[in-house]
Order: sequence, then C-alpha cells, then structure tokens
Amino acid sequence: MSTNLPARTLDRRELRDLVDDLAANPAQWQDQVAFPADGGRHYASLYRDAYVDVWLLCWRPEDDTGWHDHDISSGAVHVVQGGLLECNPRIGGEHLETVVAEGQSFHFGPDHIHRLTGAVDRSVSIHAYSPPLWRLGQYSIDDTGLMRRVSVSYADELRPIDETPASGVMEEVA
Amino acid sequence: MSIDVHQHLWTPSFVDALRARATPPYLDGWTLILDGEPPYEVNPADHAARDTTGLELALVSLSSPLGIESLPPEEAWPLIDAYHEGALELPEPFGAWAATCHSEIDPDRLAADLDRGFHGLQIPATAAPDDRLLEVLTARDLPLFVHPGPAAAEQDRPGWWPALVPYVQQMHAAWHHFRAVVRPRHPRLRVCFALLAGLAPLHSERLIARGGGRGRVDPDLFVETSSYGPRAIDAIIRELGIDVVVNGSDAPYATAFQDGPGIGPAAAHAIRVTNPRRLLCGDASSAPSPPPARRAAAATFSRMGREE
Repeated sequence: MSTNLPARTLDRRELRDLVDDLAANPAQWQDQVAFPADGGRHYASLYRDAYVDVWLLCWRPEDDTGWHDHDISSGAVHVVQGGLLECNPRIGGEHLETVVAEGQSFHFGPDHIHRLTGAVDRSVSIHAYSPPLWRLGQYSIDDTGLMRRVSVSYADELRPIDETPASGVMEEVA
Repeated sequence: MSIDVHQHLWTPSFVDALRARATPPYLDGWTLILDGEPPYEVNPADHAARDTTGLELALVSLSSPLGIESLPPEEAWPLIDAYHEGALELPEPFGAWAATCHSEIDPDRLAADLDRGFHGLQIPATAAPDDRLLEVLTARDLPLFVHPGPAAAEQDRPGWWPALVPYVQQMHAAWHHFRAVVRPRHPRLRVCFALLAGLAPLHSERLIARGGGRGRVDPDLFVETSSYGPRAIDAIIRELGIDVVVNGSDAPYATAFQDGPGIGPAAAHAIRVTNPRRLLCGDASSAPSPPPARRAAAATFSRMGREE
C-alpha cells in the first residue's frame, strides 16, 4: 500500500480517497478475498500504522455487525464486489437503510452509528479508519426503543447484541 | 484451550546442575547465589506441581536473568544442557524454548538442540542477537523469544526494582534494536518480546517525532502480556492492534491477565489462542504440534520440588 499519506489523523474525505484508490488497484488486495468453505467470516488486515488502519471484509448475507460506533475514529468503505446494506438507527422510528452497490463508497465521522450487512452473497468491501480502530461502542435497541451501549475492544465480535450470538464463533471485525 | 508462551520451571536436572557449581550462578540447597546480589531463597514449591488447567501448551524457558547464556562456553553448556534435558522431559501440556551460549556462538549446536523438539529459541534481551543464530531459526521457521537478562545489582533498592527498571529498559532497547537493525536483515523472522516489550511500542509518537517513520505495525513482532493487565494490554492494542499480542504468565513469578472489562471474549481468544499459534507456527489455523523428539516423563515431573 502506498504510504504517501500525511503523517497525521486522516479526515473522512481523505479516507474515502484512500479506499477509492485501493479499490482501483485490486493487485493490492485481491489475494485476500476468500469465502471459507467452513462458513466462518473472513476479513484481512491490509495495513496498520500509527494513523490509519485498512481492512478487507468479505460478506455473506448472514453477516451482521449489529449497531455500532467507532469511538474516536472516522471511516470510509468502498464496496468492490456485490453490495452492502447500511442502516442507521432512528429511535422510535423507521431505521434508515441504504444499499451501497459495487463501485460505490461512503464515509463517516466518529459521531456515526450504523449497522452493516451483506446485501448480496459474496460481497467484498475495503474499510479505512483513522485513528486506527481501538475501541467500539456496540448498541442494542429493544422493542420499546430503549438503546443501550457497551464498550468493546475493536477485536471483539461485532454482532447484534440484542440477539443470540451465532454458535459462539469468535470473529474479529471492522 | 489457551497457550502460555512464558513460564519458568526448574527441573531436577537443572537444579542439580546449579548445585554442582561453586561460583555464581549456583544453588546452595535452595539458596540462589548470583554475582553481586544478596542470596535469594528459592521456593521449591514454585517449581513443583503447577496448575495447567485450560492450557493446551505452556512454554517454559531458561531463567535468563541468571546470566547463564553469557558464561564461558565450558560453564554455560552444562547448565543449558541440563535445562534442555529437563525441559524435554516435562509432560504435556509443557513445551519449551531452547537456550544457547552467547559468549561463543555455535549455530550447529543450536540447530541440533532445536531439532530435539523445542518450539523456538529464547535469548536474553542483553545479548546481541547474532545473525548466525537467527538464520538457524528462519531456516526452521521457528520463532525467537526475547526475555530480560541479568540486571546489575544496586544497593538499597526494593525487591521489585529489577522488574520495573532494568528489565523494562532492556526490553525497550531490544524492541527498538530489532525494529531498526535486525528486521531489515531477517525479514521473515517471528519474534516475541516478553512483558509487552517493556511498553516500548507506546513510545511511537516520540519515535515518529525523531524521524522513526510512521509507526507501521510489523505483524511478525509479537509482545507477551506477563505481569500486565487490562490497562497496559489495552494501550498496546491501541498502538499495535490485537494481532500481535500473545498470552504469557511468567509463572511462577507473575500471572497471566484475567478476563474483565475492556478485554472481551474475542480479544481474549485472539491473545490466548489465535495469536500464539501464529507466533509459533506462522499460521493461526494450525495448533502447535508436540515436538517430535519429546519424551513423556510424568514421573520426572512428580519428583520436582522434593529435592531436599
């Protein structure tokens, strides 16, 4: 990966430029794409330094991050294959849903709360975060609209915390 | 099941070899005599039966602060050989790091020792990491473990002083030396630094300010958690990410981190299982296989600690 990046925290638009550039250079990540036959979720850390953290994630329709924020990090996501469904919570209302199609990207600041699922089987996305991911907020919203937050390490499984976890499988997450 | 990459266990053969000496380092009964330090009463129970519940693998290593590896070869090898002999006889789930003499480098002897069934080599942080030794490791795709070496004796210091000052400084120096000097010469070597490398990775902002690059994480430089808990581990994860943090206890002198707020189940699993496997095997999907040359000898273990 190019390291002609500024030696400082990147803002969301710089992160978008970064994932867009990477998406245009499949040689830098194509070999990391995998959908394991044993059914586990697949992800790969493409790069991490003091300022930025870059991941490749592979998605099946059942992969669901649950509601989460990224603490102090901004982020950007480029869908390089298939499509992702991004949802944003609306307490007491209808959640916002956006399908991000192949070739599109989106970006967000640390105030962003969302939930990502694979909209299409065998979807692939590239994610960049700055500062590098450290802690995340994980949310549940119950039937009455009551929202709760737990702080988790970025390494902890991102999954819906208001539902039964899938067979105790450990997953790292972006 | 977890992996613990950092334990010490003085086997009967090693204790006998220390007792056979009349100059430091040696054992007089269970009193350890080191150069320039007050006599230290070893607790035999520390090296007797040990609880390994929940561990699929516990790696023991030579107590490098004794300074054995830097003795002249004719003094170092009898102690190292005795350590090797005892370590290889430990029952499962124990495994071991090999040791070697640093006053006279012998790569062929290291190679032969490793092939007896060790999981890698431990060196003292105070020893210069000799290229010839590191080449033996990379040829076998085995890792290196960097552990504190001897600390200079100082008057009127509390008992915890070596662990908090000299050991931390040694690990700092080793971390920066490996990143700056050793890594370019040995790009494939996997290295693990004890005690979270003395928290050296937390100084990345200072390193960057002094022209040390942009703090790119080296995925094959690991840090081990012994003596630290959720705060320091969390701080290291912020700096290096989760993938290079591995579980170690430094038993019997310290304990492994405990579960609690801040390190959730997936992070704990990465630290205790996934990351140690990648350190030891280069591949997180393989379980470290029992060394082929090891002999099961539970009877030997049950005798330990009854030397008096």
